[in-house]
Amino acid sequence: MATATTFGTVLRELRQNRVAAVGLGITTFVLLAIAIGPSLSPYDPSMMDFTAILQPPSWAHPFGTNSFGMDVLTRVLYGARNSLLISIVGVVLGGGLGTLIGMTSAYVGRWFDAIAMRFVDLVFSFPIFVLALMLMLVLGFGVQNVIVAIAIVYIPNFARLARNTTMIVKSEPYVQAAQVMGQSRIRIMVREILPNIAAPLFVQFTVGLAFAIIIEAGLSFLGLGVQPPTPSLGVMMADGKDYFHRGPWVLTLTGLALMVTILGLNLLGDGLRDLLDPRLRRRSAA
Amino acid sequence: MGFLWYLTIRIGGALATVAVGSFLIFLIMKLAPGDPALAVLGESATPETIAAYHKEFGLDEPILVQFGIWAKMVLQGDLGKSIALAGKFPIKDLLATRLPITLFIGMYGLVIAVVISLIAGTAAALRHGKLTDTVATSIAVLGISMPDFWFSYVLILAFALSLDWFPSYGFTAPGESWIGAFHSGFLPALAIAAPMAGVFARILRASLLETARREYVTAARSYGFAAPFVFVHYVFRNAVIPFVTVLGLQVRYLLGGVVIIERVFGISGMGSLMVDAAFARDYPVVQACALTFLVGVLFVNLLVDIVCALLDPRRTR
Repeated sequence: MATATTFGTVLRELRQNRVAAVGLGITTFVLLAIAIGPSLSPYDPSMMDFTAILQPPSWAHPFGTNSFGMDVLTRVLYGARNSLLISIVGVVLGGGLGTLIGMTSAYVGRWFDAIAMRFVDLVFSFPIFVLALMLMLVLGFGVQNVIVAIAIVYIPNFARLARNTTMIVKSEPYVQAAQVMGQSRIRIMVREILPNIAAPLFVQFTVGLAFAIIIEAGLSFLGLGVQPPTPSLGVMMADGKDYFHRGPWVLTLTGLALMVTILGLNLLGDGLRDLLDPRLRRRSAA
Repeated sequence: MGFLWYLTIRIGGALATVAVGSFLIFLIMKLAPGDPALAVLGESATPETIAAYHKEFGLDEPILVQFGIWAKMVLQGDLGKSIALAGKFPIKDLLATRLPITLFIGMYGLVIAVVISLIAGTAAALRHGKLTDTVATSIAVLGISMPDFWFSYVLILAFALSLDWFPSYGFTAPGESWIGAFHSGFLPALAIAAPMAGVFARILRASLLETARREYVTAARSYGFAAPFVFVHYVFRNAVIPFVTVLGLQVRYLLGGVVIIERVFGISGMGSLMVDAAFARDYPVVQACALTFLVGVLFVNLLVDIVCALLDPRRTR
């Protein structure tokens, strides 16, 4: 068990876990769809067609058309690209900073730990959308600011997780061996601790990504996030709500695409947790 | 160290968090662009009137002094005045009408979520590995994956526009009619409840399965106690503690969801007040709303800690 798990073994185990396999399948499908889908679509995402305004779903337009006669499915594929990209960058930023704070907190301890963890508790006391809404007021509305808001929301999650897992790993013999050999703190944190806490952090990343997509959609839906004409799933749903009575498919089907994406990530996260958790438990018990 | 000592420490901690948290809110709002004097005085502002306004409200003082002035006002029950609303309403009066509505919707949603998850979580655990389990856990993960504002529109489409069982927009305050409030609040409450019910049901199921494996449960079974008795007295009572803890943690999601759901259903609660104020750059109102939400979350978590301490007295030691 001492050997590092290779990407290949993880992939093999993933396929054997039913939940993870379904999640991986959905996520792969979504990624493929937004990667190659737009180039397969006969429509342009911003092409207006005033002869086909608010058409219900049909073979020509599987998700129908919006109030400008644009093909909703094509726009969903483009919008999902933006939504996913914004969420990934936001969670990577927040996750990176949070991990750094959490590891330092566990490894340095004392006053840094005390202050950092009280701050984490404090941020955890704010409803997420209330925090995000205040941040948007300071930062202004737009793509970069949604990213920053997501990052700030996620710093505490990762900080707490990284701190708790570092605490477990810190007293392992191989870390003590590295200390005895006189390696620097930074080297130990990067070379010895980080690879061994990477698994739970990755699970958190997957599940966090799912909720980050909801944050982006929610902020943009309120009109506080991504601004039209930049397409994102939230922006398109906000647009669809204005004529929901006449063309409910615009909002409903865009949201359905959003839900499938999130479902895939959640299942993948659940499956990964099942796969990786026993190993972590065995390690902490040893 | 008894229960009272535990209670004192908990309340002290919550009060400290409110103090630091309100400073954080104050700081964030100070960083927001725009001069409140310009917002209040409007187009007709001259440098002299702006300076006079700054002096009157202490805006030329250092930030800590400004925070002190605000905190003192808040402690005296004065949350300031709205900048944007006509008539410059005292924010206190605004909150007095808005907060009960949000509390009603939130509690309504919470109760629905708890009822659904108690049934689904227990059923899934009792029928572990069977079809019931698969169906319940699948629905739970679907619930978690749904943005609640999207689910609101699905509910509106099905139960308001198609079946016409519930109104699609607006809310009858409990003050006017309790039946009207429960009726018009059902769809928003259900929309808020769905993701929470998913989270709760999963936690309860996992916790029940984990507790059922404990040695004292095996011991109780070996004494020959009836299975339902063992389940209620040995398994359920211990398994419900993580459930209550998560209930407290979910309050921040609950209140976050309320912010959006209220906009969808046109409910004039705290959420729509805060969003409207954000658009109008009505900073004092945003600030007061954020503070109220913070106090709400901390208060519920305090209650949860107390309930957990009563359920599991070891915590107070």
